[in-house]
Amino acid sequence: MSTPGIKLRAGAFALTTLLVAAVGAWLLFGRGPLPIQTDLLAMLPATEQNPLAEAAVARLAHANGDRMVLVVASADDAHAKAAARALGRALAAHKVFASVAAELPPFDLAQLSAPYLAHRHWLLTASDRTALSQPGFDLAQALAQRLNEPFLTGVGVTLAEDPFGTLQHFLAAQPWNRSPLMPEDDLLVAHAGDQTQVLVTAMLAGSAYANDVQRRALSALADAEAQLRAHWPDVRLLRTGAVFYAAAARAGAEHDVHMVGWISTAGIALLLLAVFRTVGPLALTFLSTVVGVVAATTVTLLVFGQVFLLTLVFGAALLGEAVDYSIQYLTARANAGTRWQAGTGIRQVRSALLLALVTSLLGYALLGLVPFPALRQMAVFALAGMSAACASVFWLLPALLAHPAKPMTPLLVRGAHSLQQTLARPARGWRGAVLAVIVLALAIPGWLRLKHDDDVHNLIAQPASLTAQEVRIRAITGLGNASQFYLVQGADEDATLRHEQVLETRLQQLVDDDQLDGFLGLASMVPAMSQQTQNHAVFARWFDHPDSLRKTLADAGFRAAAIDAWLASWPGTPLTLDAWLRTPLATPFRQLWMGCNQHGCASLVLPQGAAGERVLASAAAGLSGVTLVDKPASVSALFGRYRGYASLWLIAAMLAIVPVFGWRYGWRHMPRVMAPPALGIALTLATLGYFGQPLTLFHWMALMLVLGVGANYAVFLFEGEPHTVDRPGAMYASVLLSALTALLSFGLLSLSSLPALRDFGLTLLLGIGFTALLVPVSRANLGPCHGDPA
Amino acid sequence: MRRLILVLLACLLAPFAQAQGSAPLLHQVLDELGQHPAVRADFIQTRTAPALDQPQVSTGHLLFVLGRGMLWQTVTPFAQTLALTGTRTARVDADGRLHAMHGDRGVSQVSQMLQGMLGGKVDAALRQFDVVASGTSADWVLRFTPKQARVARVLTSITLIGDRYLQGITIDMQDGTRTQIRFASTRAAGALSTLESGALSAP
Repeated sequence: MSTPGIKLRAGAFALTTLLVAAVGAWLLFGRGPLPIQTDLLAMLPATEQNPLAEAAVARLAHANGDRMVLVVASADDAHAKAAARALGRALAAHKVFASVAAELPPFDLAQLSAPYLAHRHWLLTASDRTALSQPGFDLAQALAQRLNEPFLTGVGVTLAEDPFGTLQHFLAAQPWNRSPLMPEDDLLVAHAGDQTQVLVTAMLAGSAYANDVQRRALSALADAEAQLRAHWPDVRLLRTGAVFYAAAARAGAEHDVHMVGWISTAGIALLLLAVFRTVGPLALTFLSTVVGVVAATTVTLLVFGQVFLLTLVFGAALLGEAVDYSIQYLTARANAGTRWQAGTGIRQVRSALLLALVTSLLGYALLGLVPFPALRQMAVFALAGMSAACASVFWLLPALLAHPAKPMTPLLVRGAHSLQQTLARPARGWRGAVLAVIVLALAIPGWLRLKHDDDVHNLIAQPASLTAQEVRIRAITGLGNASQFYLVQGADEDATLRHEQVLETRLQQLVDDDQLDGFLGLASMVPAMSQQTQNHAVFARWFDHPDSLRKTLADAGFRAAAIDAWLASWPGTPLTLDAWLRTPLATPFRQLWMGCNQHGCASLVLPQGAAGERVLASAAAGLSGVTLVDKPASVSALFGRYRGYASLWLIAAMLAIVPVFGWRYGWRHMPRVMAPPALGIALTLATLGYFGQPLTLFHWMALMLVLGVGANYAVFLFEGEPHTVDRPGAMYASVLLSALTALLSFGLLSLSSLPALRDFGLTLLLGIGFTALLVPVSRANLGPCHGDPA
Repeated sequence: MRRLILVLLACLLAPFAQAQGSAPLLHQVLDELGQHPAVRADFIQTRTAPALDQPQVSTGHLLFVLGRGMLWQTVTPFAQTLALTGTRTARVDADGRLHAMHGDRGVSQVSQMLQGMLGGKVDAALRQFDVVASGTSADWVLRFTPKQARVARVLTSITLIGDRYLQGITIDMQDGTRTQIRFASTRAAGALSTLESGALSAP
């Protein structure tokens, strides 16, 4: 193409890039808060068959997520309480909190029993129902036992209102009477050992994942904490809540982006300067990378509306791969010396670059097929970024590289050449096959040691101090973990409660057997209508014979007026869910009712304490309308499934490349071109086995990249070497340069705070390292053999 | 609520354990009571309430073992043995088998807290109650009144009387219910029977 044509095209490309950059900047900064998503839940795939289960997961995450749960603890009771009050006041002064609960509003203990009084002839605990329904049940003796209970009879409900104690028993089983927290000095307090622990909760006036809410809430807490520390040095503050995890994740990711971004940028810059000895190529390489990043960010924002933190970290590392295209073009220019012509140069590298781009895009496109938001976004980011970076090499760089350049640093080229010779020599001819067999023999014991780990926590870096505090707070407050729960469904309200009741009977058994700490469910607070009717029938056996009931009560010592009042309260009315949900008492439990639609109704039952998944699953086994939703376990299972797919995909992709290489390089050479990526992957897996690293989905994702990158290197060397016959080693030097830049960026990911990215980085470090060292094998049998003494 | 009161009741039983009270008499009483890690006593419990025109009277035996729990064995007007161990309340049948009782967590809480108190937590009781001690170390009265307004609305006071041992407990509720427990023949527990140790060793 003519020079003006090249200039015109470059101008158009530059304009387009500026336009894309402007759109990207507007998407990022022009629409209010930064659209960077720190909510881990949003990154995870939808795992539940049942859309209601996903809705429930989201509902619980937000009910629990948008608040800070704080515990003020001290061995000095007065200090703990004064500090909790001061903390409540300090936090309430900030607008970032919608409400702060430290001191309780005044309330009467009777308020807890009043809503139930009118329904007392419809409510029974399971054990009372069993006892009362026994054929030989002795009412007089039960009454005597009740009246002579040690220490106390009822509190809140009087003897006259509840002579047999059935309402008392029912109320005692309710969650507010089982909580380890007790009102004391108008605070919610738990005592453990010598410690007084006071609960303070603060609702955020916004999402815990919103950047400014996060920042303001944490700074308000830090101020308050500093005040507490100044006044009461012995007081400790425990905290939990999504806001802390989100802030930690954000800080970790920012640290990673900075570290990977800056160190790899600096490292790549130094490398390029050393190889090309001028600043020009350096600037152009970065220009091409910047074009890639701008396009990737803009397209990602256009497609998804927001960017996950994980994508940004991954994107910082992707720079190392995007830079390859410009490096290949620059080395072609350096190697051409004075013969350089920008247009010819492009034609020379075109097939290699396109082949490399297509293999990479294929890999990322397959990644994008996985129904997993985080992976999809990374795929889109990579597809857009790589394409744009490659396009910039074809359309922008030629205009800027019209003049010939200095050749690559001769010392480095000679070094690369002798390394290439050293690596290629033992693999020449039939010895190559023997070598391959030896390498595989060394690898096999490593493979045999490979284990798997699909734990979702690989994706979520949770600072140990935060999780430890959360565990402590859960133990103190009895709060559940909100990510494991039962979804109960029924055709109507009552059917749902009936299903829940069957489940709760089983859960109660687990509690009795010490396998579960407790559970929260509506059916124990508002029994199903069929249950209430059955309870009522048990009571009716007494009330149908009022004279005998009167005599029993009178014999036990009850006054006539008390007996009259008790008999007059029959039959009362059943307790309806609607009425109960409207009482203030129900406020903390309303989230358990999911409501009804045309398909039926649904409710949630939350297990409390750290019961294993197997125990929880056993309680739901075989029950109709009951599903155990275990988000971490579901995601882990999904990771496991995709890990399986990924390993199959990797084998399939390798087999798919075989005919392509066979067609382009001939069947005789094909095994040697395939060898570097294939053996690189084999050795990487073996090394991970020897390291004792359990394989995760992220290791396999990295191996897909290794395959793509490794095939690129083999292609670059195979295609490029004929053009550099007069500069032995120059092509391998450029491949090494590509490999080193990739190692610099991806390798740094192995220092990331996210376990998933660490796995990813380590695998790429090993894979790209092995492949780069194996690449000389691919041309070991062919020319140019310049400078080869053999 | 009932549980709340029971816990508070348990708190106040703390003085059994350790002598840290401010008043010298309280100090002496607690010191003396702390000498007995396992005791047996016969009890008479009398309960009066506005709804009742006759008092409820029950008699039986109490066994209290520090660190293990309490057996409340009613003999008249009915035979029933309750084991209050840790967080549990259970009925002990004639063969010594335990039957967990639901809905009586409050009573179990008494035993649990009592055990904690006997391990030396008088602070817990003093947090919840104002204590007035009167008499001599050979014949004393400790009167506990709730500090917390919310508790004072249901519980008037708890009074302990005693000499070397605890001799009686009186619990006055705001609704007019009064429970009086009198102990007699209080003595060191000695060896436990198989049934007793079985019932008190339950987890």
